[in-house]
Amino acid sequence: MFEKKKSVLLFLLPGLCMLLIFYIIPFFSGIGYSLMDGSYKNEFVGLKNYREIWQNSMFLLGLKNTMELSLICAPLLWILSFLLASALASIKPFGGFFRSSVLLPYLTPSSAILLVWLVLFDYGGPVNRALAAMGAERVMWLSSGALRLPVVLMFLWKNLGFCLIIFLAALQSVPQPLYEYATLEGAGFMTRAFRITLPLVTPTAFLVFVLAWINAFKIFKEVYFIAGAYPDYSVYTLQNYMNNMFQKLNYQNVTAAAYSFGLIVFAIFGVLFFLQRRAARGLN
Amino acid sequence: MKPTIHLKRRHILIRLLLSLTAVIILLPIVITALYSFFSPDEIKAFMDTRSSYDAAQFMEIKLSPNMFSLSQYYKILIEDMTILRYFVNSAMYTGAILLGQALFIPAMAYALSRFRFPGRDALFFVIIMLMLLPFQVTMVPNVITLRAMGLLDTVWSVILPMTVAPFYIFLLRQYMVGLPGDMIEAAQIDGAGTLRCFVHVVMPVCQPILGAAIALSFADCWNLVEQPLTYLTTHTELYPLSVAFNQLTQKSTGVEFAGAALYTLPALFIYLFFQNDILEGVQLTELK
Repeated sequence: MFEKKKSVLLFLLPGLCMLLIFYIIPFFSGIGYSLMDGSYKNEFVGLKNYREIWQNSMFLLGLKNTMELSLICAPLLWILSFLLASALASIKPFGGFFRSSVLLPYLTPSSAILLVWLVLFDYGGPVNRALAAMGAERVMWLSSGALRLPVVLMFLWKNLGFCLIIFLAALQSVPQPLYEYATLEGAGFMTRAFRITLPLVTPTAFLVFVLAWINAFKIFKEVYFIAGAYPDYSVYTLQNYMNNMFQKLNYQNVTAAAYSFGLIVFAIFGVLFFLQRRAARGLN
Repeated sequence: MKPTIHLKRRHILIRLLLSLTAVIILLPIVITALYSFFSPDEIKAFMDTRSSYDAAQFMEIKLSPNMFSLSQYYKILIEDMTILRYFVNSAMYTGAILLGQALFIPAMAYALSRFRFPGRDALFFVIIMLMLLPFQVTMVPNVITLRAMGLLDTVWSVILPMTVAPFYIFLLRQYMVGLPGDMIEAAQIDGAGTLRCFVHVVMPVCQPILGAAIALSFADCWNLVEQPLTYLTTHTELYPLSVAFNQLTQKSTGVEFAGAALYTLPALFIYLFFQNDILEGVQLTELK
């Protein structure tokens, strides 16, 4: 299926040049920056920058928050999109309205929708009104540790549809008679979803989980929109730290932080990939 | 007949649940549209009741305007064009990035999926790695490169890096790998060269994934945040609406909902236009 031809260069080179200039070379020269001291002499200082940021409390706070937020968001997004996709697949050929509305938020600009969020979660807003009506205390959603909830909800609202359609695509390949048989045997919706569907779509489930996690690592956008560059400590992400360091022109610090984070990301996905391979082999 | 009845009832339950979810999902967009028809004074008064920590008071829940009015739209489109100017910026970035991506990405994905050359698998591996990396890893070196090229603080600094966004190379490559090889060989036997083959045979059959990629990439471009914040430090008049809108609406001006509706509208059109492509493209792609 693969051809061997000189003309491949025509297709490859333009894009490859751009990729080299803006992604690959910067990636490697960045390692260099993170090992320099950044003064006008620009001496080689080894791992000093790394030691510094790993002792910096704001970096550690940002790292902790990014990890925690992504650990809340990614599994939640994954399970929600899986369950909704299963529900949607089980009522074929209906559900067109749902299918077409669920992906719309992915294209909707967050900063436009932000206004609604600010009204909903205001101290006197509808969410608190509902809480008060149920006899609960009002919560300062937008200016305290509770800020995590609106941020996570905005993330879920935006990313649900994309994960769901990937699941949906995989679910269409699951043979229907399998479900009918299981239903006759008395299996409920949850049993069918987790015992039949999930094992059959493991590779897709893995992919969705990775994509959900990649996006969860980028949750900075939602935080920045709702709370600005210096948000409450509970949602101060690593990207906040790096952007603020960048504004202060502390480039060495930014790159050291970025590469530390990059290494953690690679390690996580490496482990996930390894586990998926093992799981796939186990199933066969 | 009992199981069928049982099944039907469950169908109705699931449909109810899904419809409810759909309504919740659409609600923020519907509210934005609805509020854009309130008069600016009413919106301003309403938005100014925010952030009051008086325990005895709630904001009003407004579901219909005192008076249906188009004056928010009149204000942003004719009287004060600030929002419109940033909107045009956003459109310019989106158009330029999509055009660049159309030039680089399908060709590269084709090379990665159909040809054998040294380092191909390594390159694909690098692209997947880049896809996983957060933007900040290459941010500082990029700033230095762009400054050396004299492009920092110009629109090019935002446009150029985005034109080879790794995710879309990955997406298109995965789709093209699944295309039947016979089709391309048949075209070559008929005498089509590699380029002709690419333009007249491969591109047309890639239509669903191209549509999906356009729509998804549009979503990225229409929502740019990190790149303009980093690369456009002094020329804030070059900001796209995604960054500027937030700053313009810190204090209520009474026209923010019409601005938000205007900002959402192109996304809505793109979505309606490419909706089926997205579903079909994702379904036919080897995403494993």
